[in-house]
Order: sequence, then C-alpha cells, then structure tokens
Amino acid sequence: MVAPLYTTASGLLFHAGHILVMTIGLPARGKTHISRALERYLRWTGVKTQVISLGDYRRKNLGGAQKLPPDYFTLGEKSPETIALRKKISEGCEKLIWEFFESGGQVVIYDANNGAAHVRNAVAERFDKAGIHVIMLESMCDNKEIIEANIRSVKISSPDYKNWNPDQAIEDYYKRINDHEKYYETVSDMTWPFIKIINASLHFRFVGEKIELNKIQGYLQSRIVFFLMNIHNKFRTIYFARSGQSLIEHSYKADSDLSPAGWEYAEKLKDFVLERRARSLEERGLNPRERKLVIWTSTRRRAHHTAWPFVARSGFSALSSQLPLLPVDIEDEHIRPRSPEITSEPESFLPSHSLRGDLPSPPPLKRQSIMPSQVKVIEKPQMLEINPGIWDGLTPEQAKKYYPGDWDRFTKDPYSYRVPRAESYHDLSVRIEPILIELEREQEDLLIIGHASVIRCLLAYLIGLPASEIPAIEIARGDLLEVVPASYGVHSHAFHFWDGPGRRGEGGDLQDVKDANNFYENYAESTRGKRKTNDEGEVIQELPDGPAMKGEVQMPLITQYPNQLLRL
Amino acid sequence: MQQRNNAALAAPLSPGIPPAAFGAGGPMLKEFDNSTVVSRLTSQAPTPPRSVKGIGGKVAKPDYSESKIVLATVGLPARGKSYLSNKLLIYLKWLEFDVKVFNVGQLRRTRAKQKAQRLGIKEEHTAQWFSHDNAEGNNSREQLAHDSLEMLIQWLKEGGNVGIHDATNSTKARRASIEQRVAKEKGIHLIFLESLCDDPAVIAANVALKVSSGDPDYKDSSPDVAKRDFLRRIAEYEKVYETITEPHLSYLKIVNVGSQVTVARIHGYLQSRIAFFLMNLHLKPRSIYLSRHGESQFNVSGKIGGDSLLSPRGMKYAQALPALIKDNIGDAPLTVWTSTLRRTVQTASKLNYPKLTWKSLDELDAGVCDGMTYEASINQFTPYQAYPDDFANRDDDKFNYRYRGGESYRDVVLRLEPVIMELERQENIVIIGHQAIIRCLRVHSASDSRYAYFHQLPQGDLPYLKIPLHTVIKLTPKAYGCDEERYALPIEAVDTHRPKPKGPGPTVQIKSAREYFTEDADKPASTTSL
Repeated sequence: MVAPLYTTASGLLFHAGHILVMTIGLPARGKTHISRALERYLRWTGVKTQVISLGDYRRKNLGGAQKLPPDYFTLGEKSPETIALRKKISEGCEKLIWEFFESGGQVVIYDANNGAAHVRNAVAERFDKAGIHVIMLESMCDNKEIIEANIRSVKISSPDYKNWNPDQAIEDYYKRINDHEKYYETVSDMTWPFIKIINASLHFRFVGEKIELNKIQGYLQSRIVFFLMNIHNKFRTIYFARSGQSLIEHSYKADSDLSPAGWEYAEKLKDFVLERRARSLEERGLNPRERKLVIWTSTRRRAHHTAWPFVARSGFSALSSQLPLLPVDIEDEHIRPRSPEITSEPESFLPSHSLRGDLPSPPPLKRQSIMPSQVKVIEKPQMLEINPGIWDGLTPEQAKKYYPGDWDRFTKDPYSYRVPRAESYHDLSVRIEPILIELEREQEDLLIIGHASVIRCLLAYLIGLPASEIPAIEIARGDLLEVVPASYGVHSHAFHFWDGPGRRGEGGDLQDVKDANNFYENYAESTRGKRKTNDEGEVIQELPDGPAMKGEVQMPLITQYPNQLLRL
Repeated sequence: MQQRNNAALAAPLSPGIPPAAFGAGGPMLKEFDNSTVVSRLTSQAPTPPRSVKGIGGKVAKPDYSESKIVLATVGLPARGKSYLSNKLLIYLKWLEFDVKVFNVGQLRRTRAKQKAQRLGIKEEHTAQWFSHDNAEGNNSREQLAHDSLEMLIQWLKEGGNVGIHDATNSTKARRASIEQRVAKEKGIHLIFLESLCDDPAVIAANVALKVSSGDPDYKDSSPDVAKRDFLRRIAEYEKVYETITEPHLSYLKIVNVGSQVTVARIHGYLQSRIAFFLMNLHLKPRSIYLSRHGESQFNVSGKIGGDSLLSPRGMKYAQALPALIKDNIGDAPLTVWTSTLRRTVQTASKLNYPKLTWKSLDELDAGVCDGMTYEASINQFTPYQAYPDDFANRDDDKFNYRYRGGESYRDVVLRLEPVIMELERQENIVIIGHQAIIRCLRVHSASDSRYAYFHQLPQGDLPYLKIPLHTVIKLTPKAYGCDEERYALPIEAVDTHRPKPKGPGPTVQIKSAREYFTEDADKPASTTSL
C-alpha cells in the first residue's frame, strides 16, 4: 500500500521525511540493479526519488578506468594525487545528494561500494544530523557463480571497458574486486537501520536468498523492504489488453455485459494472445505448452467476460452454471489441440540458446491455438477502472458545464486532482499497488485483461514513466501490449490485432450504443494523450530525464505499433 | 427539505444536474436488463454466467485452495511465539484464509487429562518432565509433537490453508524431522517462525502472564511455585536451544517483535504476505480510537451512501469529539485518519492533530443503489421495490453480496488490507470512518482481543456488528489481547443499524486472557452480545 499523496508545504509525503539509502557491497553484487528497481517503484508511487551513482559520477568527471591513475582502484598507499581525486569524487557525490534534497527530493539512493565502515558511518552521520533518515542497504554474495554471471552480464559492457577484450575485462574486473575485498567490512554494528540482502542475483528467481533487517521503521522504509522481498528476475511475459466493448460504455456503475463487438473482440483476443505468446516463447526456445498462463481481470462483467473464450470450451459447459469468480483451472489434457504439427514438434524443434542463431526461424504454422498447459482466470476487485464519481454517465460537455471548477482543475492536473467521489490517478495507483506487488511476484506468464486506466498505471510502472505521465498514456482497444521484464527496465511491444467498433472509444462508429464511452476512463484516448505519434503510427515514448537515466543503464526506447504485424 | 434532498440525491454538490443515468431508482437499468437484445451469437456456446443483474448479486469466495503452509514456531517459552501466531491468525482469518493453531502444549494437557480419567494415572508436568535428561519425558514430547504435526497436515489436506505448529521446536534435529515430514507432502510449504527476545522486562511480563492466566499446568500451585517451576522449565529448554542457522530452511526470525528481522528463503505470495505482516508489528503501548462520522443528512433521511454533509446533531458530535479524545489521551502524539468523504472530514475538522485522508476508508460503494433509501416513502422510489429478489438476496448473505457497480463486504476487506498493515505500524490513532469500514476494522483490530483466539467472529456476521453513531470505540492492544471501551456521547442520532433479518444477531464469546489453555476450547466462559 502506498500512502495517499498528502504533501506538506515542502512537497514531501506527509509522514515519511527525507531518506538516504546507502548501498553497500562489493562490485558485481547487483547494487545498481536493486537501486534502479527501487527508484522506479518509488517514483511510480509519487515519491521524488533519485539514484546517485558514484561510478557514473566518477566516469563523467574523470573518464573511464583507463584514464585514472593506476593506483585508483588498488590497495595500499595511494599517491596524493589519487587521494585528492577520490576525495573530489565522493565530495561531489555528496554535494549532489544535498542538492537533490534541497530541491524537494525525498529519497536518494546512493549507489556506491561504501565498503569501509568508518567512511560510510561518517557519511551517514552527516546526513543523520540534518534529520535525514539513513538506511544501509547491503548486498552480499558468497556464491561465485552468481558473481561471475553478474560480471558477465553487466560489468564488462560498462563504459569502463569499452573496446576491451571480454576475457581481459573480466580478469581486470576480478582484480578490482579482489582489492576491494581486502578492506571491505560488512555491516555488523546495529546502530544504523539496515537491510542486508544475501546472494542477490540478476538471474535467479528471487532478489535474494535471505534478507536481514535491523531497526527498519517508518512508512516508506517498510515499503522498500516489502518491495525488495517481492521482486525477481525469472523470465516471464506480461500481456495487457483492454476488455471488450460493453453495452453501456459510458457508465461506471451499470456494469453491463459485452456488446456484440465486445464478444467478437474477446474471441479475437484469445486467438491472438495464444498465437503471439507461442511465437514469442518459441523464439526464445521455450515451449508454450509447458508454461502456465494466468489471466487477471477485474470484477466487472465486461472484463471477465472478455477472458471467457479462454475457458469456454466444449466440455466445459458445466462451468457456465458456476459463478465466474471461481478461478477456473483447466487441465491440459482437455484442451490441448491434438493437431499433428504440435505432436510432431519435439524438443529438437526448439533450439537451445547457443544454437538459435544457426537455425531458420520457425515456419508460420497455421494453428487454431496453442493452449498453455494451464489457464487460470482470477478476478481481482482492486482492478476496477478508475471511479468517475459524480461524473459517472456524463459526457465531457456535461461535466464541463455542470462542474466547471472541477473540470478546470482536472484538466490541469489529471494525475492528482480528485473530482468529488471520484478517484484521481494517484488514488488509483494506491489501490492498485498490491496488484503491482503481486505482478512483480508472479512467475507465470500473465495476461491482464483490464480497463485502460488500470493498464496505464501498471504500464507506467513497468516501463518507468513518471507518475504525472500516467493519465496521458493511450491504451487502444485492439492492441495487445507485450512486456518482458529485463535486468534494467523492460522490453515492450504493442501489437495491433483488432479494428472493430469501440477501438478508441470515440463513439463515432457506434450505431447501436448510446453515448459511446466513459470519458473519464478514456480521457487519454480522446485527447490523444500527450505523446507524439509519427505518421507511421509509431509511438515514441519519451523517457524521464535526469541523471538517473544516463550512464550505463539501458531503458526501453521504443514501443512499436507495427500495424498488422501479426494479424492472423 | 425533502426537495433539497432529492436534488442532492442526483448530484451531491451542484443542484440542477441530470440524475445518474443508471441509478437503481430510475427505470433505465431495469429496462436494460429486461431487453431481449442478444449480444452474443448463439453459435458461440456456452454462454458465460451473468455475474450481476438487477442491483447486485452474491459473489463466491476466491479460491485459496492452492495455499498450504505449515508455519512452525521456534523459540523458548515466554518469547512471544503465541503473540505472533495469534496476530497472524487474526490477520489471515480476516482475509478469509483458513488458519488453525495446533498447540502441542494443549495436546499434551488434553492427553494427560484423558489418561488421568481413563487410567487414573496422573502425569506430573513439572520442569523435571521438560528436562532433556528425562528420557521418558523426551519420548513423550517427541510423540506429542509428532502427533500434533500429523493432525495439522491432515487438516491442511482437508482444505486448510495455514496450520500453525505451535511448539518450541528448539533444536536442529526437531526442525529437521519437521522438514522431512512436510517434504513428503506435495504442495505444502514449510516456514519456521522464530521469536527471540532479550528484553528482560518483556520476558518477565510474559512469564507473569503465563503464571497468572490460569495455565492448567499450574492450577494447583501457588504463583511463586508456578513461577519458579516455569523459569526452570525455560532453563531446561535453554540448555538445548539452537537458534535457526540452517541455511536451506525458509524462515523468519524476529527479535524483540520487529526491531530485528531476518527473512530467509521466503518465496510465494502468501508466505511473503505473512512475513511482511509480522515485520510490521510492534509492542509500543498505544490506543486506537474508531468512530463513525457524526450523523449525516443522509442518515437522517435514511439514504444509502452519498456524500452529504453532517446534520446539526452530527456537527455537535464533531464539536464534542476533541474534548473526549483529549480527556483520554492527554498530550500524547496522535494522528487522525479520515475517508475522502465530506462527512468524515467534517467530523474530524475540530480535531487539532495531523490528519490523513484515505480513499481506502471511503464507505462501501453501494453502486447503483447509492443515494437510495431502504424504506419507501411518499416520493421515493426504492430499489428494493423494484428489485425485491435482490434485496432478499442481500439479506441472505450480506458479506458476499456485491452491489451492482459497487462493492461487497469482501471487496471492502480486501481494500482495507493495506490500511490494516499501516495501522499495525502506527501508534496512537483516531480513525473517523463509516459503518461498514468501522465494522471491518473493528473486527480486525479488536479481534486480537481475549475472545478471538478460538472464537473469532464468523465473517458472515461482520455486516451486522452494531456500530452506533456518536460513539467512540477505544481499543488498547495488550500482550494477549485488546481492551475495548466504548464512549457514547449524549448526542442523539438516528439508528442506522439494520438487524440480521433471520435469527439472532451475532454473539461473540468473550473469554478471559489466556483462556486458550482450557481443555475444551469450545466451551466459552461467558457470552456477551455485541
């Protein structure tokens, strides 16, 4: 749960204060990964957060490792010149931290090794004296495989090793780590609040095997811990799609069933998701039939009825007498189509990673659908669309006419302004936060059939958009969004698969449905968002700016709308 | 006045606005439901169920059948194991998980009693019996722990979600044998919960509580003798106690309730929920004050939901509230939480403390029935006249009834879960809420009270708890429970309580402090109607 955004004059969350999270750990312990994930999460909740990375700062000011004096990373006596340089860098970083707090920031994650106890304690004391809550976040690792994997995947691609031979780079890096190890002191005194993550890995299923906590108090601090407990890096894919068009689109309360177009959409969605998922998994050498698919919908009729084709099969008619809230598990024997293509498609067809490049891409198979080994539909009441409050059922013109003051404030700040009895996007984020934590934790492939407002919030988190951008994200009905979380950020694609009535909810093409849409829910679509769309229909997402995004971090760059790319 | 209320019904803030298109009071919804327009081609059989029609319907409980956890406690006696398991039990039951505590000590006493009755042999369970040099005692205790675990696993197989294996489990060997046993069961996960405490004051308080609370082990002993024996029993355990260091186990280690926590190999949704909940607990003395808003204009006119302002009597309540709180708490720091609805904000307006408004504290959303009345009046069209079957349905199972376009009590419980989590972390707090909200919060917060351990209020009775207007409920958490006091202010208000239509109202069995030591947990000491 995220506390409501009730800010004091200083612009800080009401009961959290300033927080400095100091990472502690040898190189290649996943500190940067954890820092970035935390930053993304806190920013999404509306907390002004910034990672300040000592490594990035040093590279920016002194250049890559080659340009440094030879004793910069080594142990023992250092030349006065090196001492001065190191001092300059750490003081420069501290100055950045102060500046961020002074400019209204709330949480700084100081991403550095901070290996020597007396040094880090001195930094902590300086900030503590100014009333800033300090937390030590240590990442420890005693598993050599994890360390090597971390080095291979991240470190040798760092700007420090630009143009290096990989093996040489690794060797050099190990030398650097070994020197660090000699003076490294783990957090052992209980003075400072700390979070100790043991055996964090960029590739394993969970962020750490073990987490130790000391004196963690305060609201945001406990959120940080809960978040860290739940993230993992196991490969999975998350799909988002809007629910189908309903009979009464413009009312939140009516909770009406799907329209004929909505039913058609639901069938199309099922076919497209199964096909797309199968293709995307096979490209990675994974067997789509061996993996489960979990579907989350809201408790709105149009949302879980959009998931209905996934579970409605002949032989399952018994289900129709049940209440749909019961999650439906389907054993694969019942539903797996027994087409020859599939049964004759053994392991050999799915190349291992190393062979992948040598094999031709899989031929397009004409399949009805490849069902996952298990489909489970879960309805979640927290995933209801944004509540329009007193504006329910009104057209934008009516809302403007009858509530001019509210309309003005809403259009100026749709993220945080709450129309009477409605939810602001911030309220919605607060409501959805438990879903987000569950989404982080979920290990199976996930399809979220939701409402545009809910998808907006979740997507903004996943691709790292600032909270204020959430209300402007366009989510068209008929697009399937595919998101694959990666070490830093995510890879996301949008696939257009349907063009029927109600696609953008404008209502112009709807003959049989009165008043078309719920404008509060579809505000981004009807105002065309704030995003720039070029002529090819390619939507370019602008990334949040700031030092956090510079350096070696790769964030998703482009969401493509390849028209009809995979149209069946 | 009636005219103004009607206007407010349609739009609470600005008069002259068209009424909600699909309110239950209007004819459109019914017309729509009755329309014969077929939205789905008949070739696409089977037809999915209709989850809602009319003004709402019953919804089934979510499927938790995949969650199966053995939670084995680890710790010396008097280290707060029962406190933690008790809190957890209430929390998880509140979320509708099926949780049960299997207390090895209780099994021991039950067995000993049976033995005494059947064979006339009286076993002495003094510290001597607990000595690890006592081979016979060791064997009996092994056997008891084993049997208790078997009962637990059997219960999980029959549909339980979380079984708490409440014993000291103080040696590595003991834990290894539990691990081996649970590993034989597919789909059942094992977590150890270790409670360490090095605060002598807390240990002394726990010992005193154990000795004075009618623990049947000591029912014939003087308090001094009992205390000495209990301390000796602890000493016997201490001799062999090994804290959890086994690197492969899933465990949660809690030192001095929350000041240090270790979370190791906690994977899975419910497991991490449990861990996070236990991490947020604290033992600082505090009080929680719960109150509904003052009487609102909608209360007076008998309407559901809405966002009306307070009535004159409600305003009086708002004015009287600060003095009541001040009398109770003096100058201690305090935070006030309200919902975003105007009647709670207004009720809290005179309280001069830091305030937070929570969207999650808003009243249960009555969906299409918002702004309607229960009772028909001259110029009011009630949804219950239009939808008599639905109304009966709601009466039949109020907890599971979801208003169309609105919420059920279960939805509210889910929405309040984060609030509960934050409430655990907070110190003194005043919550100005609404009827359904206070019902849910009170059941959770006060449930760690004396009667809750074995006699939690069934969720079905939750919607019938009586929470009168103009009354402050003060809850003071104690080591093994929670004191509840009610302060009714002498300001008149309408009664908004609708009793359960069939059968008697809910009754809660109130039991004394550590009553769960009784041999027969099903026989309450006394019964008090709430």
